[in-house]
Amino acid sequence: MPEETPRPNIVLWSLLLAALPAWLGLDAVSVAPNRIVPGSGHSAAEVAGLPGLVASLVPALAVLWLAWRPTRERLRLALGLVVAMLAALPAWLALAAAELVDPALPQARMGIGGGVWVGLFLLLLALIELRTRLTLSRPLGWALLLVPLASLALCLSLWLEPLALRREYAGRSQQFLAAIGEHLLLVGSAVGLSLVIGVGLALAMRRWPRARELGFAVLNFLQTIPSLALFGLLLAPLAWLSARVDWLAALGVSGIGWAPALLALVGYSLLPMVRNTYVALEEVDPGVVDAARGMGMSRGQVFRQVRLPLALPVILEGIRITSVQAIGLTAVAALIGAGGLGTFIFQGLGQAAMDLVLLGALPILVMALAADALLGALTDLLRPGGAT
Amino acid sequence: MIDLIHVTKRFGATTAVDDISLSVAQGELCVLVGTSGCGKSTTLRMINRLIEHSDGEIHIDGQQIRAFREETLRRRMGYAIQSTGLFPHWTVARNIGLVPRLLKWPQARIRERVEELMTLLGLPVSEFADKYPRQLSGGQAQRVGVARALAADPDILLMDEPFGALDPITRETLQEELRALQGRLHKTIVFVTHDMDEALRLADRLVVMDQGRIKQQGHPLELLREPADAFVESLLGGEDRGLKEAALLPVSERMLPLSPRLLARERVAHDASLREALSIMLWRHAERLTVVDDEDLPIGELSLRRLVGAKAHE
Ligand SMILES: Nc1ncnc2c1ncn2[C@@H]1O[C@H](COP(=O)(O)OP(=O)(O)OP(=O)(O)O)[C@@H](O)[C@H]1O
Ligand SMILES: [Mg+2]
Repeated sequence: MPEETPRPNIVLWSLLLAALPAWLGLDAVSVAPNRIVPGSGHSAAEVAGLPGLVASLVPALAVLWLAWRPTRERLRLALGLVVAMLAALPAWLALAAAELVDPALPQARMGIGGGVWVGLFLLLLALIELRTRLTLSRPLGWALLLVPLASLALCLSLWLEPLALRREYAGRSQQFLAAIGEHLLLVGSAVGLSLVIGVGLALAMRRWPRARELGFAVLNFLQTIPSLALFGLLLAPLAWLSARVDWLAALGVSGIGWAPALLALVGYSLLPMVRNTYVALEEVDPGVVDAARGMGMSRGQVFRQVRLPLALPVILEGIRITSVQAIGLTAVAALIGAGGLGTFIFQGLGQAAMDLVLLGALPILVMALAADALLGALTDLLRPGGAT
Repeated sequence: MIDLIHVTKRFGATTAVDDISLSVAQGELCVLVGTSGCGKSTTLRMINRLIEHSDGEIHIDGQQIRAFREETLRRRMGYAIQSTGLFPHWTVARNIGLVPRLLKWPQARIRERVEELMTLLGLPVSEFADKYPRQLSGGQAQRVGVARALAADPDILLMDEPFGALDPITRETLQEELRALQGRLHKTIVFVTHDMDEALRLADRLVVMDQGRIKQQGHPLELLREPADAFVESLLGGEDRGLKEAALLPVSERMLPLSPRLLARERVAHDASLREALSIMLWRHAERLTVVDDEDLPIGELSLRRLVGAKAHE
């Protein structure tokens, strides 16, 4: 089709126009001689000097220019530039580290400042916008992210040792891996348990309509209790139980630790799980079910071959919501000694060490995004009759 | 052969079907008509036990339907409904093969049967076998629905407003196809519809229902000529009944042999209906038509006087 000159892409313009002052005005990095002393901030101009600053602005201005008349080819070019900028960011940090951190001080560290965070965030949004405009598939969008990630991995292993985040990690790499394991285990078992219980409850509600209102009332109520309060509420009964029942104590159940965390997580996960499963099974086209029975399928066959497959995308949607929610909530569970990445967040908050907080928060963010993306893709895959 | 003997269905306090008796012979196409909520679907669904009747007896080939397992009974009957009820996650071929698969036919025989049916219903196999229901037009989906109902070659077909959601032209095409199909397959069919023209066109036996009861049943012409009461009369079209009857009678029944007079200029096919003949006369301002056979050769003539006189309403 003949391409008319399209209107300027407002989204890209807003994103980049917001990124530029942040990059120019906010501290890009901060440097401290050791962990105790607060760092001193440095702007992007200080790091690379005027030529470096200009060099860093060129691709951004080019994207602005391309977004003014966003034809497909120009948007593709802009996409390339955004990916390149994302990939250049770790390299730029490595440069800053070499420039600013005194190699003679083994404890010296460099923190990432507001300028870089804002830039990173806005560039990622620009990437999403471009992916949507160019109607690239979800997997391709994720594949594009691999380029900056590879660059990050390379820079981390070679030059970014002074990065505060990395220093925090180096001090507790064992703990870090263990925390990720605990976090995943808690989330996995909470989602798994609530899936089993939730499907059971949804089936029971379908069979006994009386149970439905009561069930949803209880689950809705559970959802409204703040998570810390729920942990607190579970403390006494669980402590009492573990004191009375030997095998529970042997399992490690007590008022604090993984047991109340798991219980609370399951409690919160049940509502989205039950609601989605129930609605999914209930909303299968009655005409289809009528035909299935009229053709002579048994109740079991109708359920397994018709109702369940047609409900599956919506049930998966429930699993997706539950997983993302549980990944976040598990962070709070660290407060009652359940372990997981939340441990770093609360330690960091206690020690006013923001980089330690980040060490806990960033992987949680990545996990949530990954769970969202994976389960979302799976849902699309399972839509009846192939892709919609 | 289907027999309903004093059958009643109650839902709580409401009586949806009230003491009806009906017998559909082997090879007969029986159409149930009546206003909305009069119990047509309920009657139909009691035959394959999607609804259990409260009183009376229903027999298939002389055997009580309750003597069969529900699933066994249903697999012996085709079932087609207005919403098609096609499984959206299955391809057309898999949808059609449903009942044979439930009956554990061998794979090869299922495939053969599916292809045979698709051809029978004008759905080219190469084009449609792997499509999903959402990729079909309404008419195509209904064809698939009918093919699925016919798949295991059941003696009995139950159809609940199968063409109800289609445009008039597609609907008429499918009605003609169903008639042609019935001419070859001689199924015992119970067909529910809202559309009186559809009912008259298809029925061997027309059953008029009202408030759960059968008001009158018999051949369509019988009901048109002698409606039992005002309700049946108005349902069948009131003043329009003359035209509806004319639509059921072929020209050949009323034509006279060729007279020595000049042939009339306007022609009508011998198997057209009297209604069509009348329409031609009105349109062409002609009082006389030449009746022609399949080869377009004159075989008789039809005058307006003969046409209206033929409708002996004395
Ligand atoms: N499962 C049910 N529970 C309670 N009442 C029902 C049920 N099914 C049907 N009815 C009632 O039975 C009566 C007959 O319903 P039915 O579906 O047989 O009507 P119908 O003639 O097919 O109408 P329509 O032409 O609108 O499809 C209606 O009054 C309806 O409300
Ligand atoms: Mg009905």
